[in-house]
Amino acid sequence: MNILAMITISLGVVFFFGATLGLLRFPDFYSRVHAAGKGDTLSSLLMLFGLGILVLENAHFIDVLTFIKIMMICVFIFVTSPTTTHALTDAGYSAGVKPWQKDDEETES
Amino acid sequence: MKVFAFVLVIVTGIMLVVTAADFPAWGDAHSPPNQYLSTHYITQAEHETAVPNMVTAVLADYRGFDTMFETAVVFCAGLAIAAILGHEKKKRYVVRRKALPKTEEGDIIIRMATRFLVPVTQLFAMYVIAHGHHSPGGGFQGGVILAATFILMTLAFDLKTILGRFSEKMTLIWANVGLFIYAGIGVLCVLLGSRFLEYSALHKILPGTDEIMARSHSMLGVEIGVALTVMSMLFAIYAHLVSKGRLEDGL
Repeated sequence: MNILAMITISLGVVFFFGATLGLLRFPDFYSRVHAAGKGDTLSSLLMLFGLGILVLENAHFIDVLTFIKIMMICVFIFVTSPTTTHALTDAGYSAGVKPWQKDDEETES
Repeated sequence: MKVFAFVLVIVTGIMLVVTAADFPAWGDAHSPPNQYLSTHYITQAEHETAVPNMVTAVLADYRGFDTMFETAVVFCAGLAIAAILGHEKKKRYVVRRKALPKTEEGDIIIRMATRFLVPVTQLFAMYVIAHGHHSPGGGFQGGVILAATFILMTLAFDLKTILGRFSEKMTLIWANVGLFIYAGIGVLCVLLGSRFLEYSALHKILPGTDEIMARSHSMLGVEIGVALTVMSMLFAIYAHLVSKGRLEDGL
């Protein structure tokens, strides 16, 4: 049980690291939002799931309640986080942000 | 005049800093505020009000008068913004009780997510209001969450549609109702032969309660009043600010 929780939490940390790396290193707005949205969602889900398993260790009634609450947070993150990413990219597109292309980099440098 | 105001601000600031140096040390157990009242709240709040969350007990019961006028401040802020920005000519919206638009400009993904989230969030807001006795929460927080759902709806749909369902007039009515509930509970205590906002008198009309449980129950009533006022006034402030008072389209 503990080992499973540790594995999911450390996987979450790895994905968070990837998301941060993408946010800092990707070339333009869209790819950065993509990295942040994808990585954030998956890593938050993994970490919350791991924490839920940790809570569930004793399997008292109140712990089960806490586990259910954490799972509900997961559901809402699963709905809201991609929606936010979509809204951000949509707003960027209608504001006229140009997507990055490989030629831009070559002409600039 | 500007120089005078500047000098006044500087002098006041210096006086404030000098006074702050005289404060008792932070966390000092022997300072005057920590000796009588705080000790009483910490040790006796649960016995006297049957509310485990001490903050709610202090906020809604011991210092209920203070909280009532905090609610009134929110109310006045909403009224002031409506009075300043609301002078422009407005059209009356007659779209009442209309279903949310099916094909509207805007984004279907955001609209569907909003449709899913708004009822759940409103349910959670009511939980926050009702559970303020036992966990962090209460009228102000729940009211803000309720207002946030309306603001989310105006972002996902448009301001006109939401104002057709929860119009400016309705916001004013509900803000008044909220404040009336709060002050009404206070007056009810006076009518039952006690002091203003001293809830223990209410055990005479609340069935199945003693003096302690009456305090706990009337705190819930007070919180509901606060939540109604905060919800409607925050939404009214948002609707006015975002459309420069015209209440038309906005963002």
